[in-house]
Amino acid sequence: MPEEFRYTDEELIARFQDGDEQAYVELVNRYRDRLMSFIFRFVNDMEKAEDIVQDTLMKLYTHRHFYRNIAKFSTWIYTIAGNLAKTELRRKKRHKVTHLSHMGTEEREYQLPSVEPETGETAQGHFAEKQIQKAIQELPLHFRTVVILRDIQELSYEEISKIVDVPLGTVKSRINRARLQLQQALKEYR
Amino acid sequence: MDRYQFEDLISDFIENKLSMTQRKDFETYLDENPEAMQQLDSVKQVIASMKSMPEVSTSTDFMKNLNKRIAAEKEAQSVVKTTRSFAGYTPLMASLSAVVVVAVVLLGLEFIPETNNQATFSPTMAEQQVDDLPILPTQPNDDILAENEDDSTHVDEDMPNTTDFKDRIQLVGDRRP
Repeated sequence: MPEEFRYTDEELIARFQDGDEQAYVELVNRYRDRLMSFIFRFVNDMEKAEDIVQDTLMKLYTHRHFYRNIAKFSTWIYTIAGNLAKTELRRKKRHKVTHLSHMGTEEREYQLPSVEPETGETAQGHFAEKQIQKAIQELPLHFRTVVILRDIQELSYEEISKIVDVPLGTVKSRINRARLQLQQALKEYR
Repeated sequence: MDRYQFEDLISDFIENKLSMTQRKDFETYLDENPEAMQQLDSVKQVIASMKSMPEVSTSTDFMKNLNKRIAAEKEAQSVVKTTRSFAGYTPLMASLSAVVVVAVVLLGLEFIPETNNQATFSPTMAEQQVDDLPILPTQPNDDILAENEDDSTHVDEDMPNTTDFKDRIQLVGDRRP
């Protein structure tokens, strides 16, 4: 087993704060795909999601000394990513409102489904995934964040509560309501 | 239990977080309401579908792009460090600040009012003050001195004794002529 796997996330960030850049690379490797999954499910745009993950990891680089070892590293990094994603969505919403009439065909094309040939099972799987993804986008932001963190990222209620900075009971309630909304939205496809 | 209470407890039931009493009530409601059972199954499917969604990965260029940004950040930091040399100010800012301070001091001196004290007295001002004096008629110095010989200390013997108040003061009841 490589030496770096002996370190926890918290040990790695501590080493990085002391100037060990290899620890930063290890943290990037541990989190880049997890964050990508989280952000993509949130903003539903691969390019934007990758930009946000880059921004998050740049913040980790430039603001490394802001991390205090009183919270889990994952909580801290997910909080940064979530805030950046929300900012992006708000910006996108403003942009949409302003330029809806000027929207070009290229922007619309981005939403078109893939035309690659697929087998029956994979096509059904992709269809189901797309429907879930679409239903997730319909959720209000405060429901969307918690349900992605719980059911896709599989974080604990306690950690989600710290990331979104709301009480545990509120998190549980939001997750339950989000699941019910998704169930209602997906009912017609079943 | 009604439908709203049932819906509020669905997630807790799926995650096995209900107390024994709540669980019993929940199961009783399920037995009595087939549509509730369907809804429960449907929510379970949603959760399972979300858990089985494929993980999205970053692109192959991700690390290359990130490294570029880090290199740019390092370069920016080094530029900032080298240019900060005068107590946190760049040379340009320090020069501009110095010019502004000197200008303010000079302007301040211009606005100080003119006075005759030593601090503001200059030879040119003295000449100007002499020029402003009224021109007196020219008179020989000896005459001026002669006129001034009768100063206040001189006692003229011919002068009446002004201190004799005998005739001037009349007391009450004085019958003197």
